Amino acid sequence: VIRIVLVDDHDLIRGGMRAVLDEECEVVGEAADVAGAIDAIARLKPDVVVCDVHLPDGTATDVIAGTIQRGVTTVFLALSVSDVADDVISVIRAGARGYITKATDSSEMIAAVKRVAAGDAVFSPQLAGFVLDAFATDLRAPVADPELDQLTPREQEVMRLLARGYAYKEIARRLTISIKTVESHAGAVLRKLQLPNRNELARWAADRRIL
Amino acid sequence: MDQSVRGQCWQVPRLDREDRWIGGVAAALAREIGVQTLVVRLAFVALATVGGWGLVLYALTWAGLAIANPGRLSPYSPQPKGATSTHRVLAVVLITAGLAWAFEPYSNAAVSAIVLPVGLALSGVLIAWTRSGEGGTSALVRVVAGLVVAVGGFLAVATSRVEFVDAALALVFGLALVSGIVVVAAPSLVRMGRDLDRERQERIRADERARIGAHIHDSVLQTLLLIQQHGDDPARTRQLARRQERELRNWIYGASSDRSSGLRLGPALEFAASSVEAAFDIAVGVVVVGDSTDLVPGDIEPLIAASREAMINAAKHSGVERVDVYAERRAEAIEVFIRDAGVGFDAGAIDRDRHGLSDSIVARMERAGGAARITSEIGEGTEVELSMPIDQHAADPAGRLAVDS
Repeated sequence: VIRIVLVDDHDLIRGGMRAVLDEECEVVGEAADVAGAIDAIARLKPDVVVCDVHLPDGTATDVIAGTIQRGVTTVFLALSVSDVADDVISVIRAGARGYITKATDSSEMIAAVKRVAAGDAVFSPQLAGFVLDAFATDLRAPVADPELDQLTPREQEVMRLLARGYAYKEIARRLTISIKTVESHAGAVLRKLQLPNRNELARWAADRRIL
Repeated sequence: MDQSVRGQCWQVPRLDREDRWIGGVAAALAREIGVQTLVVRLAFVALATVGGWGLVLYALTWAGLAIANPGRLSPYSPQPKGATSTHRVLAVVLITAGLAWAFEPYSNAAVSAIVLPVGLALSGVLIAWTRSGEGGTSALVRVVAGLVVAVGGFLAVATSRVEFVDAALALVFGLALVSGIVVVAAPSLVRMGRDLDRERQERIRADERARIGAHIHDSVLQTLLLIQQHGDDPARTRQLARRQERELRNWIYGASSDRSSGLRLGPALEFAASSVEAAFDIAVGVVVVGDSTDLVPGDIEPLIAASREAMINAAKHSGVERVDVYAERRAEAIEVFIRDAGVGFDAGAIDRDRHGLSDSIVARMERAGGAARITSEIGEGTEVELSMPIDQHAADPAGRLAVDS
């Protein structure tokens, strides 16, 4: 059974998620801030940490960094009500394996936790949209540095379908590939997103803030 | 150890902002020496009578202290110097007398004719410029007193009979004093600028708070009230909450959209989505990629109208509570996908009655030069794909006029 630590500063939200997740997983701990989260994760060593992007004393990025510093390996699923691209992308770049919104319904939330626990990536339509926006799509001029990884046409296709609201299973059927293949495309996109030298990603985020 | 060493270190005296007549120099020195402020003030006055040197000393000390302590630093509590307070007062008197004596040879005609009046004039200006914390009559008195002293000083310079050789000397003194005054006045000016800036920022902050308060009152509080009244109607409650969420989100993250000159896909779709959410019990998730401001109303409007129609269709017939809208601006066309994971229908046997789909969506898109495709399967949901080629010569005046008027 998947052991989960829940991090969110709102008791009601935590309670609601706990009720949902306890159906098929086990919520072993909760925390309401960055310091408490790092302590709980270090102590309980959960399989998955479901973590709100915005916390009173920091962000999910701080929790991820603190956890890495304490030498604990776990998997993060970021959770947010805000859909600001910068926040979401920065949490993903810090190492979160996925991102969902708090409006995600219960079965999808459980599926997302299971997916990240299995080492796969989870994209909400919003995150897939951010990714498509961040990586050069066909609208943009070719990037100056060909060394940088771009999305392959297949990865773009998967991201587009995710953004359109399709589940992995439906994408697999539509593209007549296996779910495993869809998952591996999503994982590849996540890795590209997390590469340290993605300069134009930073530039994109900066541009976005100006807009 | 470290602490005690730091405690014993000598600190530059701090200008006293509370206990001051002009710049707080006398109070600062008095605090440092450990005597009453009045003693130092008397010492300055005594030196001022010797060719105006007290004023020069005062100005230079002021400048020195102001430069040494630009901001408000850590608490400052000097050790009193000397054995007793009488001891210290005596020291001040002796130093003053000594300085007066030392300055005496230089207080010849030129110095008393130039330094004293100019010193008076400048101190007058300074008094006038020094900000009064209390304001009101006190400030007025300062300004008037400053002006009187200043005018008196200038008159004294103008009417003093100075010999030619002395005039050169006077010029040198004058220049020295002017540069002195610049140095002395600079902190005050900087402080005034800083105060103004802070006041403006505070005003902006207060305005912003008022604006947020008004907005919260008009929107969130009203919605919460409505939700309380409709607590027994879950569909209505959900609808209200969704509408409020979208509105608040747009307000927080998309604040400038109403001010942007160009037309944008994202805000237009969000607006359509919120109108659908308001009318039906369905959540609409909108994702937009590659949005830009150079879109032409003639292209956008039919696209948004058809998208809205598709959302309504999903709300009415899908049987699910969520529809996803994805729009992407590509090089040659804008594409919008409206997708629900609902009951679906047999696209081949589409009912003639469902005018919504064929008229509002397909026909509308074709009239505007675009295309629409509807894919659906029973049990698998429905997706409407819209695509609108982008007018390459984008500045279509007719389209713009239609929107402006």
